Amino acid sequence: MAQNLKETILNPILKGNPITVLVLGICSALAVTVQLKGALVMALSVIVVTGVSSLICSLLRNTIPNRVRIIVQLVVVAMMVILVDQILKAGEGTYAIDKQLSVYIGLIITNCIVMGRIEAFALGNKPIPSLLDGLANGVGYGLILVIVAFFRELLGSGTLFGLQVLPSGYIPNNLVILPPFALILLGCIIWVHRAIDKDLQEN
Amino acid sequence: MNTNSNVYTVIYTAVIVVIVAALLAFVSSKLGPAQDANAKAETLRQMMAAARVKPTEDLYAAKNAEVLQLYADNIQEAYTIGLDGQKNGELSVSKDKIDLVSKLKPQHKAILAEGEVTLPVYVFKGNISVIPIYGAGLWGPVWGYIAIQPDCHTIAGAFFDHESETPGLGAKIKDEPWFREKFIGKTVEWGDTPAFRLEKNAEAGGATNAVDAITGATMTSKGLNEALNVWFKAYEKHFGTGALLHMLEEHAVETTPNAEEE
Repeated sequence: MAQNLKETILNPILKGNPITVLVLGICSALAVTVQLKGALVMALSVIVVTGVSSLICSLLRNTIPNRVRIIVQLVVVAMMVILVDQILKAGEGTYAIDKQLSVYIGLIITNCIVMGRIEAFALGNKPIPSLLDGLANGVGYGLILVIVAFFRELLGSGTLFGLQVLPSGYIPNNLVILPPFALILLGCIIWVHRAIDKDLQEN
Repeated sequence: MNTNSNVYTVIYTAVIVVIVAALLAFVSSKLGPAQDANAKAETLRQMMAAARVKPTEDLYAAKNAEVLQLYADNIQEAYTIGLDGQKNGELSVSKDKIDLVSKLKPQHKAILAEGEVTLPVYVFKGNISVIPIYGAGLWGPVWGYIAIQPDCHTIAGAFFDHESETPGLGAKIKDEPWFREKFIGKTVEWGDTPAFRLEKNAEAGGATNAVDAITGATMTSKGLNEALNVWFKAYEKHFGTGALLHMLEEHAVETTPNAEEE
């Protein structure tokens, strides 16, 4: 059982990473990775939403009517997303970040990772493993988000967390700031990931 | 229990939806005041940044309560005007009850439809009037605040914001201080069409009512240019044809006899 739990936590971060292996949640990875700060808040929001939604759905799993299970999942996920958005808007320190992320917090609802993990894992497993699976998938997603944002903010603005890092003579690269570069960068990350992990390579 | 029967399914979904709705309504009503306070402090920060009460970074570093206090200390009066340039309402500026016209979208619609408007004018110390502008950028709304000197002609400062312009391109209207600083000392030519120009190479002609558009952000610049001109047109009768100056003179006439009595 302990081995299983470890697998549940590590798999989504490494071998079964939702972005680089399952290629889910790409749209938001392109949209919110211009700055590290935004990416970090987005990552934390997704971790909370996937974790708690999986937990709730797992608790309800034996009562949910099979025919409307997707709708019930959607209601739970939507509720979590609205809660996160409301809380970010209410905090004095997080208000500016929420404004910057604008619609993308709300769009966590459409992030395939959340519904995907509930459907694939939470409906068939006990609450604690489901919670861990949700959290770990959120972490796997957030990790890639932060890596992408690191390079995009560094090369696109010459800053990290808003602080100037590169010398002031550096001319920011506008391509890096636009979404297509995030896609190129994601491709590179998938390449590196596959090169390191031989199990992921097809013959 | 048969969880697949029709009755069970209908009751189950109904119960889930009611529980979730009740929870969200409760949270929304609990957090509403904090959210409104954040939004209000944000508007005040932007107005005071335009009026240059304090440097923008200081305003953004300040807590909400400090921002309210700073506003109360620096505001003289606030009122609303109609398209005829005449006052049609007062806005409270006391610290406990700060009134703002913060929903600019309906006002923007009313200006375009030439309907009933309540356009705010916030008068800061030194008779600097701050007015809002609002329009459409590339991806979403853009808005801002323009501070006008007591001569009703020269721009004392400006601040712009946006909902979702491209970071590094259109978002420069907010992120780059040099952009808003370019507006300082420029003029608004009330009555001219356009009253202000935010266009490519606009500064080259030497006009005082022009600022160069941002490279790589053509649509955002165009949207902001339109926003500026639509709102300047709406305020034209107040600032341009002397309604405000007239009001100030009336004020002076009212106070002169008193001075003689003393």
